[in-house]
Amino acid sequence: MELLSKLNSPVIYLICGSIVLAVALVCVVFALRAYRAGKAIGMDVTKMKRTIVASATFAVLPSVGILLGVIALSGSLGTPWPWLRLSVIGALHYETQVAEAAAEAAGMEKLSAAAMTPRAFATIALLMSVCIIWGMVFSFFNCKRYTRRLSAGGAREKGEKKSSLAGFGDIAMTAMFIGLVSAYLGSYIGGFVSGQGLFRFAGSWLPLAVALVGAAAMRLFLWIKERYNAAWVDSFSIAGSMLIAMASAIFLGRLA
Amino acid sequence: MNEEKNRQIYERYLAATHRLGRIACAVTLALLLAAPFVMGAYLGAMPDLGAFGKGFASIGLVYFVSCVAEYLIYVPMLGAGGTYLAFITGNLINMKIPCAVNARDIVGAKSGTAENEIIATLSIATSSLVTILVLALGVLLLIPLQPVLQSPTLQPAFDNVVPALFGSMACKYFRHNGRIACPTLLLMSALFMLVPALTSSTSFMIIPSGAAAIGLAYLFFKREQTAKEARG
Repeated sequence: MELLSKLNSPVIYLICGSIVLAVALVCVVFALRAYRAGKAIGMDVTKMKRTIVASATFAVLPSVGILLGVIALSGSLGTPWPWLRLSVIGALHYETQVAEAAAEAAGMEKLSAAAMTPRAFATIALLMSVCIIWGMVFSFFNCKRYTRRLSAGGAREKGEKKSSLAGFGDIAMTAMFIGLVSAYLGSYIGGFVSGQGLFRFAGSWLPLAVALVGAAAMRLFLWIKERYNAAWVDSFSIAGSMLIAMASAIFLGRLA
Repeated sequence: MNEEKNRQIYERYLAATHRLGRIACAVTLALLLAAPFVMGAYLGAMPDLGAFGKGFASIGLVYFVSCVAEYLIYVPMLGAGGTYLAFITGNLINMKIPCAVNARDIVGAKSGTAENEIIATLSIATSSLVTILVLALGVLLLIPLQPVLQSPTLQPAFDNVVPALFGSMACKYFRHNGRIACPTLLLMSALFMLVPALTSSTSFMIIPSGAAAIGLAYLFFKREQTAKEARG
């Protein structure tokens, strides 16, 4: 218990908070530079403002979900460390798994405040940091070369009107995103159909139902946008659909 | 003339973005790796490097493979500025990628263009700042907020953020791409139904799913091109 109060002490808050602040500054610098560069090359300012509004509204609800991850981990790791992990580099679906596995590696039966020692905490914190740094490491060493190679491919496409791949870049990006969404929706369908035994249809149907409500709500927003020529709806359609779908989970959850 | 000037401005912007991005990555990496040791010093114990090695061998390698796949797949969607920011701030699948794709779609930016680069960077910077703000406020108000956020009544809502997100996105992107989306969804559903254990590795299953979708898209694209050529 004494350790948990140390993990929540102002010193740990200061260590973690200063890193969060540094990353927030990086975001501000990148946003300002992008906005200025956009203006300088003659981009439509309205489009950039719409991007900012849409992204801000989009991010609110998932952020609250991420906050729950902080709360879930704060019981065993204190609040500042999970706060830092989920503000910087971390991912909601990784952190809990990695923290649990790291606790086992540190010799604990499970992740808990009662069994936590200072050495175990430092080991868990190091493992949580190292396991997911690779995206940043690759960006440091390879982003410039990789993005240049991609742009060179794009430029070649544009230069060669008859190229067999001309115009495929955008289609490929959309297809990749469809693949991402299909993987998750497929997992909800598979979870319901075979989650409790092959083809027993006894798994949880709640994620699938919530996804369907989200889709229906989005259809409604798209209809409003097209029917009333209301382009502004786009900025709020994802956040609105998610809110409706999440609210439906409260009621559907009682039936599940 | 104006186009040439814009190209030069953009080139300068990109070069500076890479420089800044690298510095930001290096500083963040150093801070993140130092933090466990600094906290350990305060707590009076250093990390157990033996346990760390054992843990890394069991879980670190899995995440290494996942990070390689994520990096290769997402960089083309994010552009340079977006890539640096997204990999520094994390939460890619459940926020940054859908957010950037949504912004790109709203604005109608084409991949590989300057507009796409700027929009992706703005989108990821904004969403990261919102997350940082929400988490900071949440941590500040943790005591009064905890009973609300952890109330059993609201729990199903927060447990289903990702299904809500992907359901909404599916409607938007499947609508005009049914011939790519339907077979891909059917394939993935069949896989998850036949091998239920795969549900615990959904983030890895994005790779075959994305490959199938891109493969299908390429087939249709080639067929349309051939038809266009035949029409003259």
